[in-house]
Amino acid sequence: MIKFYDWLRGSGVYAVTVPPMDGALKPNDLLETASIATVAAQPDNLTPDGSRVLFSTGNTLMSLERMGEKWSAQSIASFAAAITCIGAEGRGGIAIGIDDGTVLLKGGKHDGLRIDKVADRPLVCPTACAFAGENTLILCLGSLTNPASRWKADLMERNETGSVWSIDLASGAATRLADRLAFPYGLQIAGPGRIVVTESWKHRVVEIVGGKVKELLADLPGYPARLARSGDGYWLSAFAPRSQMVEFVLRERKFCLGMMANIDAEYWMAPALISGRNHLEPLQGGAIRHLGVLKPWSPTRSYGLLVELDAAFKPLRSLHSRAGGRHHGITSGIEFDGAILATSKGGDAVLALPRQS
Amino acid sequence: MSETFVELQGITKEYRGVPALRNVSWTLQRGEVHALLGENGAGKSTLSKIVAGVTGATAGTMLVEGKPTQFSSTADALEAGIAMVFQENNLVPTMTVAQNLYLGDEKPFNRLRKLYIAAQQFLQSMNFDVDPWATVSELGAAKKQMVEIARAVRKNARVIIFDEPTATLTPEEKGHFFSLVRRLKSRGVSIIFISHAIEEALDISDRITILRDGELIVSDAAASFDRDKIIRAMVGRALSEELYTKKREPRRAGARILSVQNLSLGQMVRNTSFSVYAGQITGIFGLIGSGRTETAKIVAGALKRNFFYGGEIAFEERRVRYRIPRPAVRDGIVYVTEDRKREGFFEHMSISENFYTNFMAAGLQKRNVVSIKEMTGLAEEWTKALHVRTLDASARVIELSGGNQQKVVIASALVKQPKLVIFDEPTRGVDVGAIADIHQLIRGLADSGLGVVVISSYLPEILNLSDRILVSRTGRIVEEFSPDDATEEKIMFAAVH
Repeated sequence: MIKFYDWLRGSGVYAVTVPPMDGALKPNDLLETASIATVAAQPDNLTPDGSRVLFSTGNTLMSLERMGEKWSAQSIASFAAAITCIGAEGRGGIAIGIDDGTVLLKGGKHDGLRIDKVADRPLVCPTACAFAGENTLILCLGSLTNPASRWKADLMERNETGSVWSIDLASGAATRLADRLAFPYGLQIAGPGRIVVTESWKHRVVEIVGGKVKELLADLPGYPARLARSGDGYWLSAFAPRSQMVEFVLRERKFCLGMMANIDAEYWMAPALISGRNHLEPLQGGAIRHLGVLKPWSPTRSYGLLVELDAAFKPLRSLHSRAGGRHHGITSGIEFDGAILATSKGGDAVLALPRQS
Repeated sequence: MSETFVELQGITKEYRGVPALRNVSWTLQRGEVHALLGENGAGKSTLSKIVAGVTGATAGTMLVEGKPTQFSSTADALEAGIAMVFQENNLVPTMTVAQNLYLGDEKPFNRLRKLYIAAQQFLQSMNFDVDPWATVSELGAAKKQMVEIARAVRKNARVIIFDEPTATLTPEEKGHFFSLVRRLKSRGVSIIFISHAIEEALDISDRITILRDGELIVSDAAASFDRDKIIRAMVGRALSEELYTKKREPRRAGARILSVQNLSLGQMVRNTSFSVYAGQITGIFGLIGSGRTETAKIVAGALKRNFFYGGEIAFEERRVRYRIPRPAVRDGIVYVTEDRKREGFFEHMSISENFYTNFMAAGLQKRNVVSIKEMTGLAEEWTKALHVRTLDASARVIELSGGNQQKVVIASALVKQPKLVIFDEPTRGVDVGAIADIHQLIRGLADSGLGVVVISSYLPEILNLSDRILVSRTGRIVEEFSPDDATEEKIMFAAVH
């Protein structure tokens, strides 16, 4: 009865509301004006690994090193499909998730290990991984049905089929830590036995405690991506903004399914890593453009957002690239060697800006 | 013909033995703008009420056009050409603006259409943007004030007393008001202008009279005053600029205590979103009609949002939808109204009864029966904490001055032990001394970890108090400033454009 009432009024779970970007999330242009460390096609997965930073661009694993004021990127390896996640052990071992449904281990004690199943489940969508010791890999699977490259379809289908696993690399045994998650995209081991993941489709950060989730940060105005350490706190990236229009489309199932069946995914009324490049896209015209200028405050489908959180996961400050900007689709952000690095997957660049900015 | 229109000789007024005016001798010239200044409780309102026939003097004589006069009612005074526009309006809320304007002048067979056309023409001639068809209860405080002013002007009064006329007006409306005052003056109408805005008094008046503790301190030509001299005379000490010029570090935000998302209410609140954090003062600035008050009232359960797609409110990360204020109060949300007379207190009840009623509304009383001891204790505690100037807590609220009434309203909210306090124009119609007290109190609340929202039309107040500043325009929050980068110009630009 309450559900029907909510459906009728557009409230509760049927609300098409979006939290504002205010307080610590107040918009600025820091990401937009950040310098470009390196240009790369759809960069993602910034991961510190000793004196270098690993990141991915399509199916290539890259390393990024600081050379004074400049940054130098080098290719390390290439894979059969796009890289979806990277985990560095810190002593040479690297785990790499591939969009063809495998996780490969390079270097370290388990060099050459290939994982394509967890507890008889096919490994469809590895989205994040992290080492919890030499022999344990914590792995997030975003979806049971869609690979990571079809994240948009997973959102529009309103799936909650993600899971988090602990894999014993020596024996291959996998333990499910949490299930029925709405696209766990970011993963951070926040302390001994303390696993924190971002749940993108539920716009929140949760801690996994005894198979259940405990909300740490809820109702974000964007879709959270990866989570990285920042001194005592964390950097949380958000790859796209929430908008009332998308919330409405998600609510209208018939329309949504029709749209998915008949229109190219690029032109769906859905969040995007970059937008405003094609006249066929939705949300053109006066909604976002006035006299040929993209309004910075318009309800765009793409955005650039990186949030600094304190140790209790409370937002402290944020860096933005607004609707009129180019550095959108921030999928990962880390602090490294006195700088903040962020991958703009939509803007095809790795951004660098001083820690104090 | 003498230039003096009204003369008071040795006027004394006592309420229950407490003198509100002591031996005041004062004159009002024809066609002059005369500002009456003083702290709350100084006796300005009492003096003007005696002139307007609202109340009589305990001792002394009033001369109108040289003749000893004692009005028995405001109607008597109006007949003699003296009208008063009250700080808290006296309109009939269920009637339309036009009906209120012509109240008492109705003919046996009224043509409503003619009445509305005449009212519209009259309001337009005064540059007041008020719909004559609107019911008064639907109007905001500023528009009610405009109707009050229009009513007094329409009566062709020769003396018009304005009690805090500009407190609720926007800068543009103030401009219209001042040009109206000048027009009235040029027609030979005398204006008594009671205000706490010292600059306005200096700008517009020909003469200024300053009262303190019921005594006339000084009465002289406006040209002989400056701001500091006025403040010294008002408070008996140099308060200087300390109220609005202190720079300080903004407080760090605590947990998000309130999240308002895409809230809508008709044309007044349009898809507005903002958050409030514990341990911070969130200032909301906006012009009249920008939907600030309505938004606050929806949050506090005093108004209902749109039935369909009305938006969401989360208090302490829990979705809430209050249909009446009581559950909001019990959850810890209190709203301190901008319209204290109508919504702030029970004017014929005592201070202690007002406190205790609010205390009970929050369900905090120990037993389900009224405890006189609890009530007295509460009254003592809060009158002391807020420096309410009264003989004792059994005094009726209606007998208090505006500033002390405001303190009672604030204390009545705070006895509910809230987690989030929303102040709507907390210092409207309050003197400089009381403003300092109220600001101190608001800061103290934020320091103690409560979420505090201050809605104000007075930019220096917003700039001085707020840890973050939100600007409201046409029913939604359109801009956020940190105190570091906020200036009056930037805020006003955001509020207008």
